[in-house]
Amino acid sequence: MTIGTGRSSVVVPRNFRLLEELERGEKGIGDGTVSYGMDDGDDIYMRSWTGTIVGPHNSVHEGRIYQLKLFCDKDYPDKPPSVRFHSRINLTCVNHETGAVEARKFDMLANWQREYTMEDILTQLKKEMAAPHSRKLVQPPEGTFFE
Amino acid sequence: MANSNLPRRIIKETQRLLSEPAPGISASPSEDNMRYFNVMILGPSQSPYEGGVFKLELFLPEEYPMAAPKVRFLTKIYHPNIDKLGRICLDILKDKWSPALQIRTVLLSIQALLSAPNPDDPLSDNIARHWKTNEAEAVETAKEWTRLYATGA
Repeated sequence: MTIGTGRSSVVVPRNFRLLEELERGEKGIGDGTVSYGMDDGDDIYMRSWTGTIVGPHNSVHEGRIYQLKLFCDKDYPDKPPSVRFHSRINLTCVNHETGAVEARKFDMLANWQREYTMEDILTQLKKEMAAPHSRKLVQPPEGTFFE
Repeated sequence: MANSNLPRRIIKETQRLLSEPAPGISASPSEDNMRYFNVMILGPSQSPYEGGVFKLELFLPEEYPMAAPKVRFLTKIYHPNIDKLGRICLDILKDKWSPALQIRTVLLSIQALLSAPNPDDPLSDNIARHWKTNEAEAVETAKEWTRLYATGA
């Protein structure tokens, strides 16, 4: 938090921040290759979310759709959400047994900033899938899921 | 820290809310964010919400007072203009907002909305339909939810 610099001094509280993200997600984001929505429409604390990433072109992921689970705890967005792939994927920053995105291998989670959103995480993961070091990694069969 | 630039208008409104609260309404800023208020509204008498204590949260966005406050219910409530996430369908929170309005007027309007549900401009379609097809039964459900969720029992 910076002192006395107008803009950045206004802190949007967790719940209103998540309502903004919900509305943005409902409208649809950009070209639709990443999207997300709330799992339980009755949970006023808006904790569980499902994200999807359409596999980027020119990568082994092309044509696949990946599902992820994001969990925003009470300390979000001061702390990042927990993020894990539901669809099986072979990616350096993803734990091979659980599907969890590991913060120490994924810079956005390791160096989390309050302004980051779930959309930013999904977009960054999509970029990671298309990166030279990962776009040719052998992938598990399509339609399989982490337990 | 986050409050070093709090506009004078917000400070004044806050002081007045605390020193002269409107009947049946309390609003106090949270300690770590002076733009974020914990709000309680008592269910108006002769409404299905009578006897209930409803918790809400309110946030003054950066653009306030040029933009409306953001408000929602935290207590579950059966009302055609309030959805499952506690979001409120009220014109002054949207296109009818004017900087001449205040936090106090917003909260009084929400209190009035509890006395006068408007199923013709619904946020929850199911509840609105219930209200229009069988108002007596909808009112009973609203009373039941008030007992279940808003009495702190």
